[in-house]
Amino acid sequence: MSKTELNAVRLGLIWRRLDGIVDQVAETFLRAAFSVVVRDNYDMAFSVFDSQGRQLTQSKRSIPSFMGTLPRTLDAVLEKFPVSQLNPGDVIISNNAWIGTGHLNDISMVHPIFRGDELVAFAASTAHTVDIGGAPSPSAKDCFEEGLCIPICKIVVAGQDNPVVLDFLTENLRQPAETLGDIRAQFAAYRDCNVKLMSLMDEEGLDDLIPVADEIIARSEQSMRAAITALPDGRYSDGFDIDGVDVPLRVECTVTIDGDQLSVDFAGTSPQVPWPINSVLNYTQAYARYAVKCLVDPDAPNNAGSLAPVHITAPEGSLFNATPPAPVWGRHLSGHYVPAAILGAMAPIMRDHIVAESGSPLWNVYFAGRHDDDRGNFVKMFFMNGGHGARSHGDGPGCLSFPSNVSNQPIEAFEHQVPMLVREKAFIPDSGGAGKYRGGNAQRLVFEARGDNPITMTIRHERIHYPPRGLLGGLPGRAGVDMVNGEIIEAKSRSVLESGDQVVFETPGGGGLFAPSERDDDLIKQDIESGLTTAAAAREFYEYE
Amino acid sequence: MSDMETGDWRVGVDIGGTFTDVVLWREGSENLVQVKLLTTPDDPSRAVLDGVGEALAEAGIGAAQLTSVVHGTTLVANALIERKGVATALITTQGFRDVLEIGREWRYDLFNLDIEMPTPLVPRRLCLEIDERLDATGAVDTPLDLEQLPGIIAALGAADVKSVAVCLLHAYLNPAHEQAVGSAIAQAMPGLAVSLSSAVSAEMGEYERTSTTVANAYVHPIFRDYVERLAGALQELGYSRELLLVLSDGRGIAADVAVKYPIRLVQSGPAAGAEAARLFGELARQRDILCFDMGGTTAKACLIHDGEPERTVNFEVARETRFAEGSGLPLLIPAIDMIEIGAGGGSIARVDQRGLLQVGPDSAGADPGPACYGRGNEFPTVTDCDLLLGYLDADSFLGGKMKLDRAAAEKAIQTHLADHLGISATEAAWGVHETVTANMAQAATIHAIERGLDATRFAMLPIGGAGPVHACSMARKMGIARLVCPAGAGVASAIGMLAAAKSFEIGRAAPAELSSLDFAKAADLLREMAEEASALVSSAGAEEAEVTRRFSVMMRYVGQGYEIEVPVSLEMIERQDREALSAGFSECYSNRYGRSEDMPAELLSWRLAVTGQRSTLGDTLGQRSVAGVAAPVSKTTRPVWFDAGFVETPVYKRADFGTGSRITGPAIIEENESTLVLPAGFQLSVDAALNLILETTS
Repeated sequence: MSKTELNAVRLGLIWRRLDGIVDQVAETFLRAAFSVVVRDNYDMAFSVFDSQGRQLTQSKRSIPSFMGTLPRTLDAVLEKFPVSQLNPGDVIISNNAWIGTGHLNDISMVHPIFRGDELVAFAASTAHTVDIGGAPSPSAKDCFEEGLCIPICKIVVAGQDNPVVLDFLTENLRQPAETLGDIRAQFAAYRDCNVKLMSLMDEEGLDDLIPVADEIIARSEQSMRAAITALPDGRYSDGFDIDGVDVPLRVECTVTIDGDQLSVDFAGTSPQVPWPINSVLNYTQAYARYAVKCLVDPDAPNNAGSLAPVHITAPEGSLFNATPPAPVWGRHLSGHYVPAAILGAMAPIMRDHIVAESGSPLWNVYFAGRHDDDRGNFVKMFFMNGGHGARSHGDGPGCLSFPSNVSNQPIEAFEHQVPMLVREKAFIPDSGGAGKYRGGNAQRLVFEARGDNPITMTIRHERIHYPPRGLLGGLPGRAGVDMVNGEIIEAKSRSVLESGDQVVFETPGGGGLFAPSERDDDLIKQDIESGLTTAAAAREFYEYE
Repeated sequence: MSDMETGDWRVGVDIGGTFTDVVLWREGSENLVQVKLLTTPDDPSRAVLDGVGEALAEAGIGAAQLTSVVHGTTLVANALIERKGVATALITTQGFRDVLEIGREWRYDLFNLDIEMPTPLVPRRLCLEIDERLDATGAVDTPLDLEQLPGIIAALGAADVKSVAVCLLHAYLNPAHEQAVGSAIAQAMPGLAVSLSSAVSAEMGEYERTSTTVANAYVHPIFRDYVERLAGALQELGYSRELLLVLSDGRGIAADVAVKYPIRLVQSGPAAGAEAARLFGELARQRDILCFDMGGTTAKACLIHDGEPERTVNFEVARETRFAEGSGLPLLIPAIDMIEIGAGGGSIARVDQRGLLQVGPDSAGADPGPACYGRGNEFPTVTDCDLLLGYLDADSFLGGKMKLDRAAAEKAIQTHLADHLGISATEAAWGVHETVTANMAQAATIHAIERGLDATRFAMLPIGGAGPVHACSMARKMGIARLVCPAGAGVASAIGMLAAAKSFEIGRAAPAELSSLDFAKAADLLREMAEEASALVSSAGAEEAEVTRRFSVMMRYVGQGYEIEVPVSLEMIERQDREALSAGFSECYSNRYGRSEDMPAELLSWRLAVTGQRSTLGDTLGQRSVAGVAAPVSKTTRPVWFDAGFVETPVYKRADFGTGSRITGPAIIEENESTLVLPAGFQLSVDAALNLILETTS
């Protein structure tokens, strides 16, 4: 075979190298990053695009929120700065929620890559930053309260820092050193990406990436279309209520499979609300793409080809396609329902590869206060997951993150940072919904305030009124509960804790799958032995004696 | 070798999945007696005894003349992977019985809806709670309720438990409650093995520490019995001196210490391989080495930086999904940092949904093995492709002991790959070879980046049967310009055991911010650690005068997720030198990340490595120069595929080369256990230690 002929072997090797380049570059950035969520939970993404702006690959270590968001960011960047206005060494920045990932804390950047005078590619990245200024609160009424919005602008102009942009950032952020440190780490990663991409092109004798990109995109698209074609054509719908802030909200979803195309529409979903739980379309689409990929083609590469046959729409001004100036900081409080809606709609045709609802949106709690010793103030965010939904071939795991993927923190580490003792972190018996396969158990956490100074606690929890549903005959999991000193408190609220006060969080349990009557007696027996199911519940749900 | 030679005779024994390797060495001699025989899985000590016997006979000495036996084994890892440990219970703090099953609440595979989370080694019904609580300073919040113990002991008895793990919150700061529980159980049930988290792994993080302690308990009785059996059998041979075991960090320790902490042996054999790589690198005067070990079922990489293998205290065993970080059981133990970068020669190649070649992660393993083994696997593997490309020879594989079926390999590649891709079988084979090499190169490069290191500055040292076949191509893909191919790579782990020093590392978590560190308390802790570690090492036969102590502390900027190791001295802590500690941290940080920050720092845990005298193996092997022919002549040639076609390529035997020999690629150099592929663009020379040194010329 000749060196320049683009057969399957050579294409495969070049493609692999492109994947490798973004993974290496992302890793270089991760190692230098300050933001803890970036490092520990891969709250970031790196992508490479061809000169036409088609996404070729994205770093493997990433999270669902960033699936397909960078192409939209690049489009918006190119609208403002057409290729004729881009120069080698430029970096364009923005954190606009509507062209980015749905909230201001994710800063996205784009860097054009030139070979000589010729634009051949774009590198782009998104990374979470802990502080973006402003005063984000659970009661924010518009996006202006939520922090600094960086318009699309050049933060680096032909290799030279743009002092105006840097000054704006420095003046508006609480911890500019960390945020700018993360931004500069991405500059270094772009340089690295540049060098690696040039040596790939040199060694493979490529003048431009278009022929390679055409193949990558065509093959990815074909593979996704083949996977969709294998599904039965039709319209599949689902709808359910969710807690909301002051009133319940409605989610409606219709999945249409038509030959080799799949479309998801959220018509009928509640209008956007004046609370910071709205999802911009880009975030809705990311979670929708995530669910479709899991269901249809888990190995699909993350590029323009795989995304092409999947269309995701939501009515403008709705909860899932909020328009400015809607507050969007806690977008996951609605957006995490997107996979549930798609899984629910497609369950009847995916009986062999489905998951009942999980105890999500992700639960977290902020504790803020002052240490008794000379360590000063603290603000600590703590994550806790509910039960995972039951799956087609087995029970849902207890306390496992879905559809996001955020780990817990060791209690021993937490107690070093916050003057509290955790009295309990254990499964709640009977909290997983009954079914042939039961939902994963939820957990109970008991926190006791210990310091002399009061602690302010902020929570925004879902699934208090509407527990995770079971599917295809499975029963719902247990709803979540929040309590202080034995009294139930509002799931979206702020409380002040004095020494000795006890807080109880009970996360929601996963939904069950298929009818409980189909459950194997051995599994019921095992659950009773382990204590995950009580004898009384076994009798009630499974008629097991 | 003349019979009845006197001197210090030492033997290294490595039990691998397939082979048991024995290497016998007399201190000061440059000759090694090497024996390789099949592992005897039903009773691994049988192959050990046979091998040692054979080596002794070859050297013409008796077992009584041996001064030490150093041993590594996969027993611990296998017991965990195959879940063949004993019935184990866990005793934990009230409110935390689900610590194992809850884990870290994180999915190791984002897109697989059916992922399996690791099944805990202790079932929930045997996770028992006791009322007690320490706070984050180690002070008692709730006293231990000893009155609950009889009930717990009765439950252990009723469940016929053989081993018990005790892991209480914050016990890494204060072991008192664990010790009280442990001694009460020992008194009531003398036969029961007890593992305390404060002794097994005094690290912060309740899930990982519990997982480590439980894993230790789970294999404890099995390992204790095994060591007793082995020591007994050696005694029957006439050997009754020290038996050393190699730990996961490549250090050697007396058997009586090792049986208390069997979990420390989980990576015993491979760690010794890394020690060997360090030794071989030293012989070739290379302090930065990327050891690349590719066998039939796995390919591993390990970095040796500035003469020391990279180490970690976060290990993972028994993964549910191969290569998926987070799918196994986490272990907080000192270990040499190695990663699996591929599934070895048995990796199966296929054409995916996008019409492209994929290699692995599924593997035909050693049994049935590649299609060319003729044992019933019809799918093409990396080894089949290497055979078709002429890298391997059907008749000289494993020194001719095993004949390969070239036609079967070709058929597998033709049917499953070439026909789908519309190319020839050889082109497909070349694609597989390049793909698997590219995969490994990428994984190794990313591993280096994760450690803050630049792989292009390292020399590659390929070992294992398939390592030298893929090494040059992989080095080129990684931008590595120099390779070292040592003599005796086929028994590297056993050689590494002879090179390992008697040594032990202990860690104690003691989180604190640098600005408020209580130095007096820290100094007390370090002195306590020194006492504990010295006792462990001197029982391994190291003379007190030879012992060196190396203290260090794991540090990071407040809020960061990764910590780095900062060397300290007891004296520095005693004189309360905050500035020196801070400067030391800044220096280590900027060595690793190229800059340091103006931010507050924190300490996570103190570490101490106590080391006895180093082995002199390296000094003697460095001088075993055998003068060679400057330009050896090959006896045969065969067609070998490079880049775009077959080239009639000279085939050498490794024995054709001596110090000073020099050739340029393309060439094939065959040894009994492996084949080195030297493409054009590489030149080969031989150094004084008989290493083949390969360098790129273009």
